[in-house]
Amino acid sequence: MSILTVVLSSFVGTLGFAMILHTPARTLVPASVIGAAAYGLYFYLESVGCPEPAAIFLGTLFGTLLGQECARRMRRISTIFTTLAIVSLVPGLGLYRCMELLGSGESDAGLLAGVSAMITIAMITLGIAVGTYLFRLIIGSHGHPMPDR
Amino acid sequence: MEQNETEGILETLQLAGRVIMENGGETYRVEETVCRMGRAFGLTEVESFAVPSGIFITCKNAEGDVKTGIQRVRRGGIHLERVDEVNRVSRHTEHEGLPWREARTELQEIAQRKGMPTWLRIPANSLCAAGFCVMFGGNLLDAGITGLVAALSESMTMTLGRFRMQSFASLLLGSFFATFIPLGLLRWLPGLHTEAMVAGALMPMLPGLAMTNAVQDTMRGDMISGVSHFGEAVLTAALLAGGSMSGAYMIRQLMGGA
Repeated sequence: MSILTVVLSSFVGTLGFAMILHTPARTLVPASVIGAAAYGLYFYLESVGCPEPAAIFLGTLFGTLLGQECARRMRRISTIFTTLAIVSLVPGLGLYRCMELLGSGESDAGLLAGVSAMITIAMITLGIAVGTYLFRLIIGSHGHPMPDR
Repeated sequence: MEQNETEGILETLQLAGRVIMENGGETYRVEETVCRMGRAFGLTEVESFAVPSGIFITCKNAEGDVKTGIQRVRRGGIHLERVDEVNRVSRHTEHEGLPWREARTELQEIAQRKGMPTWLRIPANSLCAAGFCVMFGGNLLDAGITGLVAALSESMTMTLGRFRMQSFASLLLGSFFATFIPLGLLRWLPGLHTEAMVAGALMPMLPGLAMTNAVQDTMRGDMISGVSHFGEAVLTAALLAGGSMSGAYMIRQLMGGA
């Protein structure tokens, strides 16, 4: 699958998710673009041989940093952008694979898929935490107004 | 500052906190907003403690009168526009000196504000599911069917909402049908990418916001709310997994391993 298809479909999916969360109309497109960019980076890194957990972490970190900056510039809450930056990286497929394998009696493969999904969630969590911390550190040290204020 | 005025300010702060919490905001945001607004309204001391089910606020005016209020919070749904609007009012209060009576009027208007029309939730879910289906490797036919499955799940959620069974039952049933229908259709349409379809249909139900809130609250040292949001995310994932597993099991029983 081409990176363009992945980025476009990720954009459409994130846009739908943004509407479900009742995101302010003006932030719908920028937040979805950030979500698509984060997933695009993850997809690219994985396609060039980067280990999946590292690709997830870097995709989340990139999305969080972009989201924080966008929130600061648009004077909107950072929750909107951070949530939509990570939504396409949440392991929906991994969760399904885990359940499918466990349900069909393939316990070993199922547990492996489950652990992989858990690692993905841990990397997303770490990416958000590091991204938010780094952004506040950099922006705070330059005396710019913080996101959310 | 008169006693009545202090009471009015306390009510305004409670309203601001409640609107944030009921609409999916983080607890750290509630505490920060309440304290900033309280000080901007002229209170000398404001302390606030928020957990996902309630807010406690104590404030002291210039005369030394102390008032405390407890606000029970019942989670409504997710409405980020309302959270964002309360943040805007808080910013105006702090930077432009918006008086508390005007702030209260604005907050009341925000709390009552209608969001996206109910019917629009169905195409939003379809769009989300169809987009993610393609992202996971599905084609346009897969995306179309996934969009219909997501629309069915959302319609069911809305129906269950009328009977106050929205959250758990709808997650279980939604994930059941998100798995059951694509796997069932595989018998008649053998070229379907069922893995992408099921994963796509599950995406609108995944706890993205709960995960983000768990990280943000924990990072600011609020372990109770962080763990609570994390628990919500895990419970949601477990319900989705349970529903999905039941759907796959049921289709195997009906179709003999399809």
